[in-house]
Amino acid sequence: MLVVVVGLGAVVVVRSLDDATLFFRNADEAVTQRDDLGTSRFRLQGLVVPGSVEAYPGGVAFDVGFNGAVVPVEHSGDPVELFDDGIPVVLEGRWSGTNANAVYLSDRMLVKHDENYIADNGGRLDEADDGSGYGSANASPAAAAGA
Amino acid sequence: MLGVIVLAGTAVTLWLSFVATPADAVQGEAVRLLYVHVPSVTVAYVACGITFVASGMWLWKRTEWWDLVGSSAAEIASVFTAVTLLSGMVWGQATWGTAWEWDPRLTSTLFLFLLLVGYQALRAASPDRSSRARRSAVVGLLLVPNIVIVNRSVQWWRSLHQDATLFRTDLDFRIEGLMLFTWVFATAVGLVLLAWLLMHRFRIGWLANRVEERRLGDALTARRAEATS
Repeated sequence: MLVVVVGLGAVVVVRSLDDATLFFRNADEAVTQRDDLGTSRFRLQGLVVPGSVEAYPGGVAFDVGFNGAVVPVEHSGDPVELFDDGIPVVLEGRWSGTNANAVYLSDRMLVKHDENYIADNGGRLDEADDGSGYGSANASPAAAAGA
Repeated sequence: MLGVIVLAGTAVTLWLSFVATPADAVQGEAVRLLYVHVPSVTVAYVACGITFVASGMWLWKRTEWWDLVGSSAAEIASVFTAVTLLSGMVWGQATWGTAWEWDPRLTSTLFLFLLLVGYQALRAASPDRSSRARRSAVVGLLLVPNIVIVNRSVQWWRSLHQDATLFRTDLDFRIEGLMLFTWVFATAVGLVLLAWLLMHRFRIGWLANRVEERRLGDALTARRAEATS
């Protein structure tokens, strides 16, 4: 009897955690799940596509990319301090619609810093700024699938 | 002796963290929090590990020694977990743009802190020494499973928190030179500090038990004197 109760409890916990622990969706998942997501709120993770950042009154527009997919973002409010080309960001907001030219309307921005530490000096700076080192293991779909 | 090492080591760590090490290419000066945040959590983990082993040993041997080692380490662990959470909040505000998110790593670390606080509340709520030792030993056994969840949370679930820099299975350290040295040095100083605090906390705990016994003895003598007079 106790085993059954504990077992059922474990199933309920794991099932609810599965949804609750999905802290963000990567840009490619946000695109493939666009119809299901509709205009409900979710967190979006991706790297700021270099050269895509454009400031407008009251906000900033840019693209985030992950795993080959690109999502156009319109963020209202000031971007966070470390916001820059190639930086991984986690945004809170929703799709503007479900059609192919929908944009992601964001109102909260967090920077997802990675595990690399590089001294801030001349030669290394170029290496750090090209963005190739970004996108840590836990952001990959493979790591998420293993959960 | 250990105290002198800790004092000198802390001075060198401060110099390394604020003067000798460079700023980070992305994070800038905020990277200096690394030398507080990560050593703190390492010390907290080791202290929790000591409590875990001592809890198991108490359940086996039932000696005062193991009870005192376990409870002393748990108290120190809660302080270092608090330092980890607070320094992490400052660091998070500076780099992520938020002091707190209910993300797997942060939430599981908060849970660890609450578990350690609960451990002490339980001890304070148990007046009799053997039930106090038994109850806290049972809670102490939950610490290491909790640490495994905290440590693996960034791999099991998606987290705002970064992945491991040093303790990687591919052994490809994501930090270099003096930054790495400062980190390792600060951790070593932290571990000596842990040993020093543990020694003194154990001594205080042992003396407190003797005082308790003395009072009990005095009370018994007084009661007997009352009965015979």
